[in-house]
Amino acid sequence: MDGRLISSKRRTPGLALLLLVTIPLVTLILFPLRAGLSTTTVALVYLLPVLINTIYGGLVPGVLTAIAAILTYNFFFLEPYYTFFVHESQDLVALVIFLIVAVLISQLVGKANRNLGESMSREGELAHLYELSLALAGINEIQEIAEVIAGRASEILGARAVQVKVSLAHVQEEHLIQFPSQAPLTGEKPSLAAPLVTARGKLGEILIWRDREGSEPSEERILRTFASQSALAIERAALVESETRAKVLEESDRLKTALLSSVSHELRSPLSTIKAAITSLLNDQVGWEEAARKDLLAAVDEETDLLNRLVGNLLDMSRIETGALRPDRQWNLLSEIVEGVTGRMHRVLKDHNLQVHIPEEVPLVPVDYVQMEQVFTNLLSNSIKYAPKGSTIGLSARAQGEEVFVQVTNEGPPIPPANLERIFDKFTRQSEAEKVSGTGLGLSICKGIVEAHGGRIWAENQERGIAFHFTLPATLDGAQPPVIEMEEA
Amino acid sequence: MTAEPHILVIDDEPQILRALRTILTANHYRVTVTSRGEEGLAYAAAEKPDLIILDLGLPDMDGVAVCADLRQWTQVPIIVLSVRDAERDKVLALDKGADDYLVKPFGIEELLARIRVALRHAAQAKSGGDPVVTAGDLVIDLARHVVSVRDVEVKLTATEFNLLAYLASKPNRVLTHQNILTHVWGPEYADSVAYLRVFVSNLRKKLEGDFEQPRRLVTEPGVGYRFLLGE
Repeated sequence: MDGRLISSKRRTPGLALLLLVTIPLVTLILFPLRAGLSTTTVALVYLLPVLINTIYGGLVPGVLTAIAAILTYNFFFLEPYYTFFVHESQDLVALVIFLIVAVLISQLVGKANRNLGESMSREGELAHLYELSLALAGINEIQEIAEVIAGRASEILGARAVQVKVSLAHVQEEHLIQFPSQAPLTGEKPSLAAPLVTARGKLGEILIWRDREGSEPSEERILRTFASQSALAIERAALVESETRAKVLEESDRLKTALLSSVSHELRSPLSTIKAAITSLLNDQVGWEEAARKDLLAAVDEETDLLNRLVGNLLDMSRIETGALRPDRQWNLLSEIVEGVTGRMHRVLKDHNLQVHIPEEVPLVPVDYVQMEQVFTNLLSNSIKYAPKGSTIGLSARAQGEEVFVQVTNEGPPIPPANLERIFDKFTRQSEAEKVSGTGLGLSICKGIVEAHGGRIWAENQERGIAFHFTLPATLDGAQPPVIEMEEA
Repeated sequence: MTAEPHILVIDDEPQILRALRTILTANHYRVTVTSRGEEGLAYAAAEKPDLIILDLGLPDMDGVAVCADLRQWTQVPIIVLSVRDAERDKVLALDKGADDYLVKPFGIEELLARIRVALRHAAQAKSGGDPVVTAGDLVIDLARHVVSVRDVEVKLTATEFNLLAYLASKPNRVLTHQNILTHVWGPEYADSVAYLRVFVSNLRKKLEGDFEQPRRLVTEPGVGYRFLLGE
């Protein structure tokens, strides 16, 4: 509801007409009855238009009506008729009292009216504020808050354009919202402005452009309250934001510490083997047997390979984490990738019984050859590490719908159900007790690569051992595998 | 060859230079080392080495540029040694004229084997190449278009033969996907790696008994293929 409807400054033509006709109307009604009515009764009736006009017109019309009433009353109803003279002194007293009463009524009613108008306008302001705080509740994005403020301010203050400027010095963040966004405001001075201030200082300001000049106190008041509400909301959002930031930093700090401690451990153990072997061999005092010398050197060889893998894994992990690992997806044969991996791993695979089953029907799959090699290498390495010697490691693939399913199984010990997802996190070992060498990164790298390809990876316990599953999309940007036509020999 | 083959090593790591000088000398090669690209180019021009081992990360210029520069006037075998293990780095160096690519850290036996292959290949190229390639049980008669395994003729399609002949004509060298596709299928197929994958897979099935361990047609992950002649 608009509080200004009651304001005394507003006059409609209908209202002015009412003011003009009340006195003649009363006069017209009373005049034929003049003989039968006492002058006191007539005076009382004349108070009616004064009352009505004060209620609907305000103080000034009320007083004007009172004067008009006295003149008319005197002219038509006090002897001598049709003159403004007063003969009897008691009539004079009546006239004076009438005037006093009429003016008093006008004043009282006018004041009550003004109070009513004011309280209604306050109620309107309260409603606006309530709506604003409702709209702001639950928004923690500063940009969004500024948008809400701009929209509301524009609606309530009848603005042509609103700008909300927010600048947060401590996070070097600036927002500038304009509503409506395309309004041209170059160099124009705003008609109204209010700073966004909190206890911690100025956060920005609200600028308002309107078509009409000047403003009413009530409008300035609402703008100020608006600004302080907005400032509070922005401050709250800024606090939430910095808290989130702090949490992220803390988390990345925790990861870095875990990484460093894991890496330094993993780096030191092969390094100490290498150092021990090399210093022994360099020692001229000991005459090493050929077999012992070979043993020491083989250890150095293996440990350097391990170090190299570790560095590779760390690099892959950091590429995955920074999103720099973008698969170069091309049409590849899974069988070729798997052959390459098993060929290269045949030495470490010799203690297990590897069974590969990739049927000819599995189509060309859009994958990054090198990254997919990495996935198979890590899954097989994991199986070799945890499954007992002599047991079977299975690798199979099948195409189904829009996906290719790949499965690597081994006969290793079951994974506690709670850990089935966690094993794909960084630095998670299936068992801490057993001394299993590795970086704790293998499976998380698999997950990173498979997901970068648009697939899923998961593990499950089976009747005998565990199974790693992953899927790969069978299409490349919506394209089906190319058909390679064969020629006759 | 009667004289000891001369190898020029261009690498900016003093420890690698020291190790390579020691090891190569012990293996009866004459060795010159330098840590700068410009100097390496000057040595190559002045001393005409039989083989160049080149690092990609040099202090004064990029190894790929050294490679391209050398290829403007000499066909001397170039083996790239680098810590850059991304496939595009390998492909770039190979396309710019490198004969082989080894990622650091590497086993010295691997390097020595690659050196022997490159030197032999260079000698063969000089003598004009052999029309019959023999690799263990596999015999490829490039002139008569006949392929046999253990004296049994293997029926190949025209494209299969062209692919095998192209790979076998540059034995032990890494050939990039683009290179092979351009030569065997034509420039318009340069990016159709899928063809290559399928035809190589078919060739392996026809030529190699042990399906799971390709010994002749070796995949260089993300880079290309190599026809292994064997020692």
